[in-house]
Amino acid sequence: MATTSERTGNDAALIRPQDGTRGFWTRLTANPAYRQASDLLLSSDRRRFWLLAVPALIWMFGTHLGPILTMIRISFMDSYPPTAGRIPEMTLENYLLFFQAPNYITPFVRTFVYSTCYTLLTLLLMYPIAYFLAKKLRPGRQMLFLLLLLVPFWVGEIVRTYAIMILLGNRGFLNIVLMGLGLTSRPIPFMYTGFSLGMGLVYLTSLYMLLPLYASLEKIPRNYLEAAADLGAGSWTRFRRVTLPLSKDGIASGCVLVFLISTGYYATPVLLGGPSTTVFAETIAGFFHVAGDKWPEGAAFSTIMLLASLVTVGLFLRLLGRRRGNLLG
Amino acid sequence: MMRPSQIALTTFYWAFIVYLFLPLALMVVMGFKDSNFIGFPINAWTTRWYVQVFQDTAVLHAFGYTLLIAIASTLLSLVIGIWCAVFLGPARFWGRALVFAVMCLPAVIPGVISAISMRIFIRAIGMEPGTGAIILGLTIHNVPFVALMVLSRLGAMPRSQVEAARDLGADSLVAFLRVTLPFLFPSLLGASIFCMLLSFDDFVRAFFLGGYQPTLPVLIFAELRSGMSPAINAISTVVLVVTAALGLWAERGTRRLKGTRR
Repeated sequence: MATTSERTGNDAALIRPQDGTRGFWTRLTANPAYRQASDLLLSSDRRRFWLLAVPALIWMFGTHLGPILTMIRISFMDSYPPTAGRIPEMTLENYLLFFQAPNYITPFVRTFVYSTCYTLLTLLLMYPIAYFLAKKLRPGRQMLFLLLLLVPFWVGEIVRTYAIMILLGNRGFLNIVLMGLGLTSRPIPFMYTGFSLGMGLVYLTSLYMLLPLYASLEKIPRNYLEAAADLGAGSWTRFRRVTLPLSKDGIASGCVLVFLISTGYYATPVLLGGPSTTVFAETIAGFFHVAGDKWPEGAAFSTIMLLASLVTVGLFLRLLGRRRGNLLG
Repeated sequence: MMRPSQIALTTFYWAFIVYLFLPLALMVVMGFKDSNFIGFPINAWTTRWYVQVFQDTAVLHAFGYTLLIAIASTLLSLVIGIWCAVFLGPARFWGRALVFAVMCLPAVIPGVISAISMRIFIRAIGMEPGTGAIILGLTIHNVPFVALMVLSRLGAMPRSQVEAARDLGADSLVAFLRVTLPFLFPSLLGASIFCMLLSFDDFVRAFFLGGYQPTLPVLIFAELRSGMSPAINAISTVVLVVTAALGLWAERGTRRLKGTRR
């Protein structure tokens, strides 16, 4: 193969060992075996490209896409793991099961209604804070104030869920304070309700809303707002006509992240929710805790949930009129 | 002198800070309560729960096991993430957007689905649930974050640096190892701490992919399901202190590196 892009400097013979300074790298590039391998693999742009591409593509398509595709494949099987001597047949029954029983549809609908509500709530709570950080603070203090918000988010899901349990329990801090103030005579059952679950989810996910919002608000040049003010816009008009439209990307990324992350929690709904707040993640997990032939059903339900969340996200982005782009950027 | 809107925003910010810190503070305080019963008020104080936790071999094993898994998956994620970023950064080819989307996929799949699809996947490829499966699951989840952090740093790198190395006789591997990699170092430090925290705290993958040996979050979850006790507070507080210290240290480190090397 022609090595058109070979550089003259690529030749190790050009490296002149300085006296006494033949370091590791010089010796490596002068080593005949290494030279041969290097010439074979690295000598042209095309070879370098394939050398990098093949393992990367195998990894990405094998492990990023593989599990999802395997899950979808198994969701169409009538039994899995396959019994010896019998080829599993393809069926749609696992999907039909979902539509037949209300005790599957209810948690499904609940998950999506709850997640949407919590996402919007998180947006409403986080927008003022992101705005405060990005627009009302000196740049030097922004990092400090942001760091203060960041610290609790380094702590894991379980520990923070537990912290919420202590706050909201019947003998928890909130109830003791309320009773101490004489606002209620007996503990209010906060736990195992939509309230405790919502409180926990907002507690766990608000950072994923805050950071994209902050990033997009921080990028808005100050003179845009000054120009709007010069043209006679009041503070509300400035916010509605300049700040809000320019932070749309942050709103989109934040909402998508929070929505997807909050639908994916399993331990938090188990610990903070009750029978009236069973979410679809718990329904799905139920299929995998029992031994036997429940895996295809679980796979089908997971596929339904994945599709539904992706469709929701797609619709939402469409609604905002945002082109498909880098969600995490 | 402050305007009403400024006062309102400042108050709201501090109220949110209280909301973030109060539950954790209560949890820490509760770990010193001299009673088996979780709840307020606290009348007597003790440190015996901490003594008990540090003598509990199950907890210590889970801690070490979780740390091992976190370190292993972080190292793997770094290597694979750097590889993917170096491949995708400069490459221009048909279908690059698709490959980029596939690379980011694990970061946006809801946690429980990611864990369950991995559970099915490891069965399909004949892998037992256990240490290897958890490490694989965490690595898959972490790679997109590493790759995105490295990509953004790669974008800031002047091309002339690699070209200079090539002109001085380095082949592309040597140029990568001696020029690109050191340049990437701040982003690698940030990425590895991020992966460590994600992996150490992960529950859902460890829960669905784990074998008989529980990781620390799985152990805490199991104890919580059987009832709250100040001993759990003590474990959680230790986890809290370790993660917060790690995070703060990393924050300081990355900021200093970025300050000097940029």
